[in-house]
Amino acid sequence: MSRRRRWWMSVLVPLVLLPLACGSGSDEESDAITLYTCVNDESIQPIIEQFESDNPDTEVELFRAPTGDLNARVAGDVRSGGLKADVIWACDPLTMQGYVDQDLVGAWTPEASSEIPAQFRTDDYVGVAVLYMVAVHHEDVPAPDSWSDLKGPDYGPVGVPDPSVAASALGALGYFNQAAGYGLDFYSALEEQGAEQVGTPDDVTAGVAQGLYQAGITIANSAYLAKDAGSPIGVVWPEPGAVAIYGPIALARDSADSTLAKDFISYVVSEPGQQVLADAGSYPALPGVTGPEVPADAPVVYPDWPQITADKDTLLSDYQQIFGG
Amino acid sequence: MRSRPAVLGQRTGLLVVGSIVALLVVLPVLRLGYVVWDEGSTGFAVLLARPGLGEAVTNTVLLAVAVTAVAVPLGTLVALGLRRADVPGRRWWPFAMLLPVLVPQFVLGYSWTQAYGRGGFTDTTLGVQWAPVLGPWGVLAVLVVNTVPLTYLFAAVGLATRAEPNLERAARASGATPMSMLRNVTLPLLRPSIAAASVVSFVLTLESFAIPQVMGTPAGFTTVTTTIYRDLSLGSDPVSFVEAIVLALLLVAITVIVVVPADLWLGPRLRVTRVADPEGAPIVTTPRSGSRWIAAGLGGYLLLGVAVPLVALLAAAVTPAVGVSPSPGNWTLDNFSFVITSRNIEALGRSAMLAVTAAALLTLLGGCVAVLERGRAGRALASLVTLTLVLPGSTLAVALLITYGRWLGGTLTLILLAYLAKLWAFAHRPISGALDRLPAEELQAARASGAGPLTAVRTVALRPLAPALLGAWLVCFVTALHEVTMSSLLYGPGSDTLAVVVLNSKELGRIGPTAALSVLLTLVTVAPAGPIWLLVRWLRAPRRARARSLAHAP
Repeated sequence: MSRRRRWWMSVLVPLVLLPLACGSGSDEESDAITLYTCVNDESIQPIIEQFESDNPDTEVELFRAPTGDLNARVAGDVRSGGLKADVIWACDPLTMQGYVDQDLVGAWTPEASSEIPAQFRTDDYVGVAVLYMVAVHHEDVPAPDSWSDLKGPDYGPVGVPDPSVAASALGALGYFNQAAGYGLDFYSALEEQGAEQVGTPDDVTAGVAQGLYQAGITIANSAYLAKDAGSPIGVVWPEPGAVAIYGPIALARDSADSTLAKDFISYVVSEPGQQVLADAGSYPALPGVTGPEVPADAPVVYPDWPQITADKDTLLSDYQQIFGG
Repeated sequence: MRSRPAVLGQRTGLLVVGSIVALLVVLPVLRLGYVVWDEGSTGFAVLLARPGLGEAVTNTVLLAVAVTAVAVPLGTLVALGLRRADVPGRRWWPFAMLLPVLVPQFVLGYSWTQAYGRGGFTDTTLGVQWAPVLGPWGVLAVLVVNTVPLTYLFAAVGLATRAEPNLERAARASGATPMSMLRNVTLPLLRPSIAAASVVSFVLTLESFAIPQVMGTPAGFTTVTTTIYRDLSLGSDPVSFVEAIVLALLLVAITVIVVVPADLWLGPRLRVTRVADPEGAPIVTTPRSGSRWIAAGLGGYLLLGVAVPLVALLAAAVTPAVGVSPSPGNWTLDNFSFVITSRNIEALGRSAMLAVTAAALLTLLGGCVAVLERGRAGRALASLVTLTLVLPGSTLAVALLITYGRWLGGTLTLILLAYLAKLWAFAHRPISGALDRLPAEELQAARASGAGPLTAVRTVALRPLAPALLGAWLVCFVTALHEVTMSSLLYGPGSDTLAVVVLNSKELGRIGPTAALSVLLTLVTVAPAGPIWLLVRWLRAPRRARARSLAHAP
């Protein structure tokens, strides 16, 4: 081989092989499970760290992505040899029920699940974190007492999250659709007084903080975070209640024999696991665990998820008649 | 008549490159088609008739046509304007022109809403707002700002490799006006570059997601890609998945309808064969007042399109919370320290390594297709590699996951394959636009004079093609570094990239850290781009000037 040719080969071959050498392939001698989740990094990392530290020589390999990407990854897995996850921790029951219906997860929950409120569990999965949909208002306007107050003249344009983007917004839509005195008329009334639909609950919080909207429907974590950082807003858990959306965890069917996967789920459901989650800023599902701010006697309501799952398409289509999109 | 070894070489090349195209492009697309056929053929008609889909398709196509119609002439005009020696600051405008492409798409979209939207930067500081920033007009404006650097790059590379100063001089000496010289000499020479720029901007707009999602969705403006995102976000059931794939394949169909005939019919007609080196020095125009207008126009465009939005972004990054005034008394670096962690820096390193590798391989692969497309089979390859460019990132990632996930799932290799599949056309088009500077006879002459194949390519082909190759490399590097959708779907333990960091920050929903991360991302890309641009300039300088600068070096 000439010198010049050797030079070219010495440049090209490593270039091609470099990424191949950098694949993940962790072959260490440790008991490992794979967790798929959409829970944000700030909440999931402390849980994994604590579990791994309590269980030496174990490893929880994480794939974390927004719900849409998580769905795409699971769909890709299913069509290329099967689900690669041992545990799935979703952000809403609708997504998890889809996995159950495909026989990908379910059929097992830990014994401690009975401590979790009945509204947050089924035979296939158990809620471990909760998002509360609350009202946020600019500090220039009075705090609303009830959701229906948002229809009043005090609140000018209201920011509403898009239920076809965020499952938490879909949960709120599902609740209001069935609630006495609300229904879809609630959204029509908001729209008539100038309400605007934005993308996610975080966009609602930012819009109210910027003064674009006088009030809005958002998740409590987002609202308190902005308020604590100095944004000029107030947070209210209005009557008849903040809408609770639970994030469920489930065991993959193919991992029914994995003790480590079951141990991990049991840990997340347990009081110590729930406390780690609460300390990381998420609302725990287990009663009695001290978590982020909840006003005294704050009312809470629960959407009927089986009904929402069954009616999703009609519900969204009727809603889009009001807000478009 | 071509020699037998040349024909044999061409056939071997076709076979090798054709096999790579089959593995990276054809097989994954067919695999998607099979999923639809296998799982969703019964509901196909229902899906295509669903409400809102027609509007999304119309919006997408109109947007692609509008962006192409505005960005291609604008980019070409800028490239032609900057040829004039008397434009003030002429040396730095090309670098400044490329700045918008160095800003990630979601950052650009987001920073425009922060700058011009209701309650945004200009609204709070000057009382001026541009309400349509959320909606089709905002989407169009930002896509144009994002695309113009590319169309400019194509035209500038075309001018660098295709201009014939002696022909232009002859036209001027024969009494042609500047306009008629432009119409009859310069633009015809630029046609392949303009055609390449048009195809790329059309296809890139079809598949664009971040900007329509950030700026269009809140105003009810939907495109095919935002509809796909919605389908996947609220549906973990197989029906939603198949619906998303059908919509992605619809984009492929639109591309086939538009791009394939253009490639097969226009390609050979636009091509001319010329000598390897342009004869004569570039034309030097006499200073005129028009040059100042060019500089002022460019300055205004960059100020409104990039500078003000980036200042708004910086203001958001140093402000502790939304709704707090961005006055110096409130400035904080908390948002930056929040996103600079060792894990994020590792991810950035992985992304940079992946982007460098992908850009190098893509330049090679793009060059191969550009060489081969002189034959009919080669042109078919050129059209094929465009198909994966138009597939939305999430769908292409799923296609590769379904096809190769069994063996490569969760590895950086699969992410690299996704980059190669997605960006191949990106590398191929600018090189293709410049390649007819390379007549086969000169390569044959070098070989007949005793040069080995590599020496012949290095000495005859690489030098005149260097601006195009570096341009292709740069575009691929930047795009791969910014890529979020595919890598966030394909990563596994130990192969998380910048995408994961970006998504984590966005998911947290806090404007401050997202803005801080966007500022850092922009800095990370702009910093290496400076030296690379200087290298491009040096390579483009005539050989004598380079020799002089080397001789003067200490």
